[in-house]
Amino acid sequence: MSQNNGHASQSSDGFIVVDGNELSFREGETVLQAAQRAGIEIPTLCYDERLTPAGACRMCLVEVEGSRLMQPSCAYKASPGLVVRTQTPRVERNRQFILSLHLADNVQDRDEAEDNNPSRLHALAEDYGTLGAWPRVERQRQERPEDTNPFIEFRADRCIACSLCTRYCDQVEAVSAITLAGRGAHTTISTADRLSLTDTTCELCGGCIDVCPTGAMTEKQALAYGKPERELEKVRTTCNFCGVGCQLDLNVDRQANRVVKVTSPPPGTTVNDGNLCVKGRFANDFVHHEERLTDPLIRGEDGQLHPATWDEALDRVVQGLQGVAERHGDDALAFISSSRCTGEENYLFQKMARAAFRTQNVHQCAAT
Amino acid sequence: MQPKGARREDVLHVLDQKGGLRPGVVDKVHRETGVPAADIYGVATFYHLLSDPDGGVRVCQGLSCKMAGCDRLMADLRSRDTKATYVSCLGRCDLAPALWDPDGEAVIPQPGLTASHDAMAIDLLGAERPAYGALAAVMERGSDWMVEELERSAITGRGGAGFPAHIKWKGVRSQAEMERYVVLNADEGEPGTFKDREILLRRPHLVIEGLAIAAFTLAANDIYVYVRGEFGRARESMETALAAARRRGDLDHLDGLRWHFVDGHGAYICGEETALLEALEGKRGMPRMKPPFPVEKGFRGKPTLIQNVETIACLPAIVDRGGDWFRSIGRREAGSKLYCISGHVRRPGVYEGPLGWTLRELLEAAGGMVGSLKAFSPGGASSGFLPASKIDVPLDFKSLQKEGSMLGSSGVVVLNQSADMVEAALSQAVFFEDESCGQCAPCRIGTQVLRQTLERYLTSRDVGVLAHLEPVMWGMGEASICGLGQAAHFPLQSAMQYFPEEFGVAAPP
Amino acid sequence: MTNSIPEIRDADFLFVTGSNTTEAHPIIAMEMKRAVGRGAKLAVADPRAIWLTEIADWHMQLKPGSDVWLLNAMAHVILEEGLESRDWIEANTENFDSVVETVKRYPPEEAEKVTGVPAETIRQVARAYATTPKAGIYYTLGITEHTTGTDNVYALSNLVLMTGHLGVRSAGMNPLRGQNNVQGANDAGATPVFYPGYQRAEDPAVRDKFSRAWGVEQNPNPGLNLNDMMKAMGDGRLRGLYLMGEDIVISEPNVERVEEALNHMEFVVVQDIFFNESCRWADVVLPAACFAEKDGVFTNSDRRVQRVRKGVEPPGQARADWQILAEVMRRSGLEQPDYQDPGEVYAELASLAPKFGGISYQRLDTEGGLQWPVETPDAPSTEFLHKGGVLRGKGLFQAVEYRPPFESADPEYPLVLSTGRTLYHYNAATQTRRSEGLSQKQPESFVEIHPGNAFKMGVEDGQLVDVVSRRGRVRCRAMVSRQVRRGSIWMPFHFPESKTNYLTTDAGDAVTGTGEYKVCAARIEPVLEDAPRQVFPGSYASARS
Ligand SMILES: Cc1cc2nc3c(=O)[nH]c(=O)nc-3n(C[C@H](O)[C@H](O)[C@H](O)COP(=O)(O)O)c2cc1C
Ligand code: SF4
Ligand code: SF4
Ligand code: SF4
Ligand code: FES
Repeated sequence: MSQNNGHASQSSDGFIVVDGNELSFREGETVLQAAQRAGIEIPTLCYDERLTPAGACRMCLVEVEGSRLMQPSCAYKASPGLVVRTQTPRVERNRQFILSLHLADNVQDRDEAEDNNPSRLHALAEDYGTLGAWPRVERQRQERPEDTNPFIEFRADRCIACSLCTRYCDQVEAVSAITLAGRGAHTTISTADRLSLTDTTCELCGGCIDVCPTGAMTEKQALAYGKPERELEKVRTTCNFCGVGCQLDLNVDRQANRVVKVTSPPPGTTVNDGNLCVKGRFANDFVHHEERLTDPLIRGEDGQLHPATWDEALDRVVQGLQGVAERHGDDALAFISSSRCTGEENYLFQKMARAAFRTQNVHQCAAT
Repeated sequence: MQPKGARREDVLHVLDQKGGLRPGVVDKVHRETGVPAADIYGVATFYHLLSDPDGGVRVCQGLSCKMAGCDRLMADLRSRDTKATYVSCLGRCDLAPALWDPDGEAVIPQPGLTASHDAMAIDLLGAERPAYGALAAVMERGSDWMVEELERSAITGRGGAGFPAHIKWKGVRSQAEMERYVVLNADEGEPGTFKDREILLRRPHLVIEGLAIAAFTLAANDIYVYVRGEFGRARESMETALAAARRRGDLDHLDGLRWHFVDGHGAYICGEETALLEALEGKRGMPRMKPPFPVEKGFRGKPTLIQNVETIACLPAIVDRGGDWFRSIGRREAGSKLYCISGHVRRPGVYEGPLGWTLRELLEAAGGMVGSLKAFSPGGASSGFLPASKIDVPLDFKSLQKEGSMLGSSGVVVLNQSADMVEAALSQAVFFEDESCGQCAPCRIGTQVLRQTLERYLTSRDVGVLAHLEPVMWGMGEASICGLGQAAHFPLQSAMQYFPEEFGVAAPP
Repeated sequence: MTNSIPEIRDADFLFVTGSNTTEAHPIIAMEMKRAVGRGAKLAVADPRAIWLTEIADWHMQLKPGSDVWLLNAMAHVILEEGLESRDWIEANTENFDSVVETVKRYPPEEAEKVTGVPAETIRQVARAYATTPKAGIYYTLGITEHTTGTDNVYALSNLVLMTGHLGVRSAGMNPLRGQNNVQGANDAGATPVFYPGYQRAEDPAVRDKFSRAWGVEQNPNPGLNLNDMMKAMGDGRLRGLYLMGEDIVISEPNVERVEEALNHMEFVVVQDIFFNESCRWADVVLPAACFAEKDGVFTNSDRRVQRVRKGVEPPGQARADWQILAEVMRRSGLEQPDYQDPGEVYAELASLAPKFGGISYQRLDTEGGLQWPVETPDAPSTEFLHKGGVLRGKGLFQAVEYRPPFESADPEYPLVLSTGRTLYHYNAATQTRRSEGLSQKQPESFVEIHPGNAFKMGVEDGQLVDVVSRRGRVRCRAMVSRQVRRGSIWMPFHFPESKTNYLTTDAGDAVTGTGEYKVCAARIEPVLEDAPRQVFPGSYASARS
């Protein structure tokens, strides 16, 4: 998709050599960014282009000439003439080491790990291989069972402490509701004083779920629904709340005709750059709400509304409106549409007013 | 995101003032500083003096204290219903088994010390040197001269990395940015090391004068002194000395210079220079990625010189007696050196000698072994173990590196024939697991793997449980962000290398 | 918006006024936060200390309704200090002199008295705005929902024009649309003044064009806007009403009059996804599909046309609005194509409105979204408007004078009430309150009141109170918060059981008819027989008590 996301035209500030290929880079770019642009694949677990790099997972280490240790490509700045290797045995062994280590400290089985969100950790382990299954590490990370917020569950057994969620909350949503807490083996994700998210500055944007590479942060309701994301179909659409026009993916269970949850398209692909707000992500209960109107209703002689067929209802609409026009003139009719409806529907609506009922009395509800 | 006007740098201090992480404190600190509550909580849970304000008496379980019976001490305290918590290291290995009561009277250690002599740069028992003549000389001869003299002295950093000091000074001076900082690393935390503590207590003026020289040379306006939280009296000693120097007018020509004293709050990792900067900025003490190095982007993102207490304390002598003199005291490498020794030794303490002393010479100064030497750790936990046969290896940076070890902070721990190397390795593994900052996976998970594997081996004596250690140790060394994780496997690796029988013998059927 | 949402992150100066962006447009706010994180300066002009003021360099906490004074004073500073873009004004604008004359009478020191914003702050912000090349203005209902809404917008655009911050990346004049498809509904001609694509209804040539296209002679009588419709319902000029997706009983100001007017209607059709309040007056109710159940396009604030795609089938007999409308038209006897899908409807729209001439479903599906104008199939998306000079002709300066709001505080109604949105609900909350989670987060209505006023009135945080205006009385809980100024109170308009629009005036802007939701005089009466209960713990506002 060639959406414009505000990136300036690509000029070059020099070249680096990656695996023998000269790649151009721009001032301030990292080795990873330059490599990604050139289609060179470097696996990452704690990187997100919207956030300052943490260099925490060590998955993206590459060899840099002149440096004794391997360097994190997600944070290492490109500079003219830099020579980088991404495919040496050392680099490859490190990737397998990191994946083995994380898996020893995580839910090992992929199906179990992906009970809701997909896990980048497990996908990478399949793609890059491991150094064998190591004995489990006894987990020391604390959970937050007393958090009764309705939307977001944190499952410490899956957390790799990559800090994507906390950096997201701090740098993108900018409310700093969650933090790395504890130290060393105890490092976990917490709110202030382990409060429920609903009692903190959290705005329930759910961005922490979207950035989490393991499903440690997950949608409570979708988890309860019990069908993993990979078994759902994604339908790309536009949010129906405010005027930003966020793109979102309805995750649909076709058989059950149900929107199970909403996820955000990847950053860098749409106007919302991977972000959503609480309404776009979570306020979709209304779609399948039991109070939805399911039948046309016509007011009867008794003054009550009664279910009717479409034929009856539509004829009644036409008669009713035409009757008013005959009695009081075309301009005794008014048509009020909603900015909540689509462009086509608004087009048809004003066409209906102007062509079918010959009045200019048509407006939509909000002038904003 | 920090709100405008939030006082992030004050968070640790205010948390401490309000008694650490107790109910309601996070919110109070949030209201006082404007820093988001979660950030405050995250910071408070990082530092053990803040996260566990009611921990009571702290009992050290570092290697020297372990060997001296800290477990018995703990059992004893608990039997008397005294609230007590284990901590990794208290920097009182000379008093093993050490304990510290944060609310009690300060215990004044009395380590073994070299008798006063003026052949060495620091001379812990030497008389106070008022007048700050070296500072006056530097101000007269100018900062270019100072940097040259520093280069001539060839002094390398005494905090552990042994990096040539003049390169850092030149690095700061070459920055266009004129907002510059000098930071004193007095967070001494490496198990087996307590030399900086003694300098701060006994020769604070050397440190103050040295810092003033550094600030003058680098045109810095602010000096930050970051003192280990468990060293309460050391900080007082520095503050008293500064006040005295000011009273006497020793610092009159540096009125613009601001001195800031900052307490550590219980995190070994804050000895690592960039973690220390994070702590100064009121954050969790997680080391930064380098590059950029602090000389370029340090405190508040500005050029910063960070130097160890001992390095700084050598400066007045280098100025007074000349770089050539300093260089000449050392054997293969420049200068004199404070060596700490503890463990199975008669007079644990701090002994000053030429850089390149051997363990044999150091033991002689400290009154000899208790029992017979089996193994030693030459430079803190991170340096691993060497067998008795290495008793004549010069204790300097290059020689030890050749042996696959390191001088580090020159905190020597000696072990006699009674020591079990598996337990010794486990003790170090516990230390690293407790003190890992936890941000990078190789160290956070790797240190757990090492400790848990050793525990399993100790109970089962089944060699099979050690099978996956090789790649784990390899990866920790290769992929960790900072020196802690990179070195955390040295004790185990070296113990396995030099004492294979203790790891190879399967349990009897 | 003249500019695009993704450009905001690269701005160096942001002037946010009358927009509680973090709550009403959270994603745009993220872009603003990103800019600030990069080092951009942020000035917020808002009577409330909204969240953005946390990270702002300046907060101009003006008295509600004094916007023109503030903005004219900024213009005064810019001209006084010679910071305007002379060449740009010369080349691109008209009528500059009228503004020069007017704003002379608005010195910052006087502005301070009227607006309550320190003169020095006004000067600093004006300077920073004028001298930063990438400086953007962002506003919403806080500017427009006044009787002086149009004046406010002119006063803002005068600033943009005199500094030449137009046709530049990350700058411009950016109204943030409150609803998903306000832009699209306007684009499509759902307004009495325009046919699709902003072709003027008063222009006979335009009417001719559509008469021919649709095969029906177009009515030359000017149409009524929403505000006028409400009045015309009351005085009997209107007798029939068709509401599509709109609940006027909730959304229009002065509810009591709306309800009264509905009683006079002879025939009312309501087409919606839920049984809304207006259904009580409906003769026919038609069940519609929601956004997840249909295809189409929405056009967002930055003129971006994007696809809506069907994910699930609508419940029961419910049908997509477009299907219903096509059927009503067919049954009314209008000859028209037999639309198979909304793509065909869009093609008809594009063929009649040159601005969208180059937009098609095919392009939308491959290119993701297109920002109009896109006049031909090979024209690119338009990231920002007025590149290389004001579009079509010259930017017109419009001198505006301050006029006080329709109502102001008096001894009987000593407080000034504004209404607005919260993050957790949307409009009448028909959708959001059906989310259990959101109802848990923000279950009921509240009124924000400054601790100083609360104390004097004996109102405690969380206490039940009545908010009373000349038009009505509404019950809700008090939230004592420094987010509002002393003397001002604020309520969200989402909660049907405490309809703020019983309180607001239906005095509208003379040009747009937009109601004055931001200023009305009110008072608060504590209701005594109830124990206080904190309404919204953890919210930004309650943290500021
Ligand atoms: C894990 C770790 C712990 C450290 N602890 C200390 C310490 O306690 N004191 C110290 O001076 N340097 C310590 N360092 C070294 C510092 O990072 C830094 O190199 C030193 O402060 C620089 O000063 P110097 O050049 O004068 O030695 C530590 C390094 C690491 C990696
Ligand atoms: S939902 Fe959003 S605001 Fe809440 S913790 Fe997650 S990222 Fe932060
Ligand atoms: S919860 Fe997920 S995103 Fe957050 S630190 Fe853990 S693994 Fe990373
Ligand atoms: S190596 Fe250990 S201490 Fe160092 S940064 Fe990584 S986790 Fe922290
Ligand atoms: S992606 Fe670079 S360290 Fe995690």
